[in-house]
Amino acid sequence: MDVAERRTAAAVPACLFAFLLPGAGHLYLRRTGKGLLLLGAVGALFVFGVAMDARLHMYIGLDDPLSLLRSVAQMAIGIPYFVARGLGFGFDEQLVKSVAHEYGNTFTEVGGLLNVLIALDAYDIAVGRKP
Amino acid sequence: MASHLANLLLFSALVSAVFALLLRERTRDRVRFGLTAFGAFVLSALVVGWAMYPFPG
Repeated sequence: MDVAERRTAAAVPACLFAFLLPGAGHLYLRRTGKGLLLLGAVGALFVFGVAMDARLHMYIGLDDPLSLLRSVAQMAIGIPYFVARGLGFGFDEQLVKSVAHEYGNTFTEVGGLLNVLIALDAYDIAVGRKP
Repeated sequence: MASHLANLLLFSALVSAVFALLLRERTRDRVRFGLTAFGAFVLSALVVGWAMYPFPG
């Protein structure tokens, strides 16, 4: 297996880990400092978002495209989303639980979208496009 | 947190940190980029906030 094949082979698990947990792709690629900082920053965004009463409803349907996009953005953070849902956070019939709930929604959605960029960064590192 | 300003500062700091880590390689460049992005986030939010002030809620 040559260098290019090894890099391509490393890209698949790196991207998979990155989508499961923010920063995990970088940890897999031995970028420990960067991975931990990314995990801390994106993890903090998500945790603060949940603490601000973000809604974590899983919306799968095409009749409300904006809700679908919002839900996909939140899910892009990976395991933390499903753990938070499993623990009962953000899963309430009441639409508005506190004055900060829109901040919570924004924090969790942006955290998920940043995790997509982080996964792409892990891919670039794995295939040798970035140092 | 019910403070809009505190939420703005927290959000700006965390997002700026992620962008700095992804878009710059050297520590010095990351710090400079992160501080610039943080300032741009906060300043633009305040400017847009003031620009919207005359409009009814």
